[in-house]
Amino acid sequence: MASKQGQPGSGQIDVTQLPVPQLQELKTQLDRELEHLTTSFQSLRTAQAKFRDCLASIATGISASTAEKTLLVPLTSSLYVPGKLTDHEHVLVDVGTGFFVEKDIPGAKDFYERKVKDLQDSLKDLEGVVNSKAQNVRVVEEVIRLKVMNAQEQEKGKTG
Amino acid sequence: MSEFQKKLQELSESYQSLQAELGTAVEARQKLESQQQENTTVKKEFDLLDDEANIYKQIGPVLLKQDKTEALMSVNGRLEFIEKEIRRFETQIKGIQDKSEKLKVEVRHMGYSHTRDLAFVKPQD
Repeated sequence: MASKQGQPGSGQIDVTQLPVPQLQELKTQLDRELEHLTTSFQSLRTAQAKFRDCLASIATGISASTAEKTLLVPLTSSLYVPGKLTDHEHVLVDVGTGFFVEKDIPGAKDFYERKVKDLQDSLKDLEGVVNSKAQNVRVVEEVIRLKVMNAQEQEKGKTG
Repeated sequence: MSEFQKKLQELSESYQSLQAELGTAVEARQKLESQQQENTTVKKEFDLLDDEANIYKQIGPVLLKQDKTEALMSVNGRLEFIEKEIRRFETQIKGIQDKSEKLKVEVRHMGYSHTRDLAFVKPQD
């Protein structure tokens, strides 16, 4: 969202013209943004993994061969009762905001594959943003380093 | 001098409270945006469905069967509401930003006039 704002080096403000304290402030701000973006990246990854799990569950758990077998249904984390699938051709898919849609197996697979793909696209976009942010941080760090070194040299020149 | 400090402190306090207000408003808008996102994906999903698809709405621990039109209607209603709320927060955020900008200018002016006063005072002592 805020990726296009406050990019140093691109546009009006030349970072090399800024004094060191301001650069440091800029760096902490950039660091914060970068951290935020990285956490978002992580949560997207987790969400994607969850959808992949759903795909795997459909692939391994629901088929004609499992329809006859009894399975254990968890009532609590430590109490299970035996059960049987009454319908191995349909599943209920949580589409968000409390809505569930009954889908057949190919439909459900298609749904989750689409979700995984959408997330992949978002991840790719976000990766680009994260990389450019990291690049910005590096540039600012480099400028700070140069400025500090220059200041030290000048100090030396004065005393020596 | 002490009056100047008092005024300055007052201004900075009101500035800080404005910033806090801005923070909560921005947070609320972000939350609304993510809700909007979620509802839009649900709407998109509904658009792909057949008219006779079975849709269930979760109410507490139970799933209630719902018509597609009914479900679509409630999602559209939510989207409309969220849009309105976002617009409301946007104007609120803009108002707060304007106010804090004014405060900033005021503080800066005070600083200028104060240094000018000091410059006048200094030669005398």
